[in-house]
Amino acid sequence: MSVHSFLSRRRLLGGMAQLGLFCAVRPLLAAPRELTVLTSYSETVLARIEEAFERAYPQYRLNLLWRMPHDAIGYLSQPRQGDVDVYWAASPRTFEALRQQGAWRALPVADAGLADHIGALPLLGPERAYRASELAGYGFAVDPQALAGLGVAPPKDWSDLADPRLAGRIALPVPSQVGFAPPMIDIVLQAYGWQRGWALWSEIAGLSYLVPRGSTFISDEVVGGRAAIGLSIDFFVASAIAGGARLEFLYPAHGGLNPGQIAIAAASRNGEAAEAFVSFVLSEAGQRVLADPDIRKLPVRESVYAQLPETYHNPFRNAAAGGYEYRGDAGSGRLGLIAALFEQMLVAQHERLVTLWAQLHQLEARRGQRLDDIRGQLGAPLIDEAQAADVQLLAGYRRNLEGATMQPDARELGWAALAEQRYRQVADSLQRLA
Amino acid sequence: MRRLTTFGLLLALASAAHAEPPLQTGVEEAGRQAFATPMAGLDAERSAAFLRGRSLFRQVWVIAPSRDEAVDGLGPLYNRPACTSCHPANGRGQAPEQPGQRMASMLVRLSLPGRGAHGGPLPHPVYGDQLNETGVPGVPGEGRARLVWTQTAFRFADGETASLRQPRIEFDELAYGSLDGVLTSARVGPPVFGLGLLDAVDDATLEALAAEPQADGVQGRVNRVWSPQASTPQVGRFGLKANVARLREQIAGALHGDMGITSTLHPRENCSAAQTACASTPNGGQPELSDAQLDDMETYLAYLAVPARRDLDAAVVRQGEAQFQALGCGGCHRPQLVTGERAADPRLRGLTIAPYSDLLLHDMGEGLADERPDYLASGRDWRTAPLWGIGLAQQLSSSAGFLHDGRARSLSEAILWHGGEALPARERFVALPRENRQALLAFLGSL
Repeated sequence: MSVHSFLSRRRLLGGMAQLGLFCAVRPLLAAPRELTVLTSYSETVLARIEEAFERAYPQYRLNLLWRMPHDAIGYLSQPRQGDVDVYWAASPRTFEALRQQGAWRALPVADAGLADHIGALPLLGPERAYRASELAGYGFAVDPQALAGLGVAPPKDWSDLADPRLAGRIALPVPSQVGFAPPMIDIVLQAYGWQRGWALWSEIAGLSYLVPRGSTFISDEVVGGRAAIGLSIDFFVASAIAGGARLEFLYPAHGGLNPGQIAIAAASRNGEAAEAFVSFVLSEAGQRVLADPDIRKLPVRESVYAQLPETYHNPFRNAAAGGYEYRGDAGSGRLGLIAALFEQMLVAQHERLVTLWAQLHQLEARRGQRLDDIRGQLGAPLIDEAQAADVQLLAGYRRNLEGATMQPDARELGWAALAEQRYRQVADSLQRLA
Repeated sequence: MRRLTTFGLLLALASAAHAEPPLQTGVEEAGRQAFATPMAGLDAERSAAFLRGRSLFRQVWVIAPSRDEAVDGLGPLYNRPACTSCHPANGRGQAPEQPGQRMASMLVRLSLPGRGAHGGPLPHPVYGDQLNETGVPGVPGEGRARLVWTQTAFRFADGETASLRQPRIEFDELAYGSLDGVLTSARVGPPVFGLGLLDAVDDATLEALAAEPQADGVQGRVNRVWSPQASTPQVGRFGLKANVARLREQIAGALHGDMGITSTLHPRENCSAAQTACASTPNGGQPELSDAQLDDMETYLAYLAVPARRDLDAAVVRQGEAQFQALGCGGCHRPQLVTGERAADPRLRGLTIAPYSDLLLHDMGEGLADERPDYLASGRDWRTAPLWGIGLAQQLSSSAGFLHDGRARSLSEAILWHGGEALPARERFVALPRENRQALLAFLGSL
């Protein structure tokens, strides 16, 4: 559909003068200058930043346009980039894809006090095209009482989730639907390796129930007692904890961070205002807003942590101890593919997967030994890592950005058939051994 | 910490004859979820609808066209992009402190002298009945409203002081011409829990309350308003002047007026004939909010639990409760109402609830008057504000304001603004010793 024509301030004034609306002209001249920010942050984040920014810079007024990341590329690809000045969102793939299209101008913002990396994660994009403005960590929302009731110790790492006592009590967001989930899958694949990582996901998924995109939060699942552990990104849970929820959030030994980033549109005609906004978001004052109890994101300015409670997760400290070796930039190119593989291997036939893992765990318990051959069949990835690195294949899945709803293509249906065939074989093997 | 309550202001247990378990309409929750917790006892279907409604209530709406068609259609003219903008944490909005500060959680109603269709306010021919400060790209926002505060010092006999601030509304950047002669009324977003219970009170109950003579010449009146759902005049109960009859209408009206989102109850975009760019802007569907989505939002807002009272046994609270009655506050701020038979969910029927409101209109005096009539409500009339949960308002948002325009920064200031029918009660409050005033405030804090 057509894009609205941009009504410039000059044209507006001219039009109003022609209409004889002189009474309105005087105040317009004194009006703050408008700055358009395209974003996908929650209303709470936007309201807090808007208030703080406009207080600090009364000469500017924010015009916040909201789009999910999968809808942002199209919007920013309009003439004059839709008159957007700043893009600010938690979608590294979108920022990088747009950088490759020349969508950003180099950030002129001073770097003092801002690190270029945290652990293995770059915080500054290539050519200074974008910069991380906040971080979110992956981990486990747990109900300690529920875990104690199951006799399970709080998990320290992803492999601790592969515990048959947790059957049906892990809430697992569906990566093809829930925006934050694909990097979480990749964290495990990078940490444990492709083969072992998929095997671990198979077992975890077999012990989990799925949480699709929609209305429920992972923290709801744990607070409501349905799950003892929810796999999540931290701020949803930290905010619930700040609101009084009886939860804990545990960061795994193999952690991972997802950055929210900020960039200035190449076509921006409000360069000065855009720079002011970026500077503010990255400043001490802007970064402190992230610690609001209703937001609870992780600042990228390390000095801010000195002003936060000791219990506030400090990723810089964790990274110094080796906790954040996950390469989000390296993984970002394959997240769409991984989500599609996860969907066909573990989601589409989830009920069957749960049954098979339950049968396998029972059999192993009865025999007192691991049945590695069957495990190998059940958890084998649908394609090997070399195939997953194929440039053409990856290109086909880059479109699967956060928020997108995709129909499976012929290749994915082939993966589904392969998974189905393997599960049939596993079922036969289990029957023979039972 | 949260534990569902079976006492306090939850006097609400439905008949055991129903197959479904009784609803627990209140919740012992004083943290940040105090206004955002569902009533216990919802079945799986209602729980799912509640959660979908919650998502919509928190959704930042998207300008059409968009790939997210379920949530596009913001504008073309709007105030804020999400329900939670004006109802932060489901609680109260606030008034801007400084003239240049934007109205982040409040709006300004507009009308001209006279009556519009069905006897309601007469909308301004260009700006309509509400100033929409923002427009989608290509559509100029209507302008900016700002509040200029006038402070008046107040001194109790014992020396305690208060500063009462009164707003004056000024307009800047008007994009569609002058607003000379317009009637205005500034409103902060009100809290949104317990609305299903208020919706369940029968009209006859309100009419009976209106017929009851009260001390001090207090006499509540029902507002009779046009119901787009029923296409007839109905008893009003929602809105600061009780100008909306049903919860569903309140939701659809706010989505349309504040965010420009159409529904079957408000199928046309909020553009006037003079706003040509507005009228030619792509929409997000016809209507933009489906009936199913409206159902979900109604479920969400109908089943948000009421926070239970706290510190019930504290002597100062009990003393304050006695003061509340002795001063005459309870004449309008009725401690109890009983729901009737009109709720679709039988478990919302026949419940004793404690909104501390009669949902009726009262003359509140010159100081609070907006001089903007609304159906049968005069420019001095306001609906008795429900007080349930008021003690938590500033715990959830320290800058939450009281009264219709958020002018009162404390409950004491709010009481001091009472006039008209409430003047005798206000004067008795002023004459109280400080200790007794504190007790009254402690009681209000327990609500």
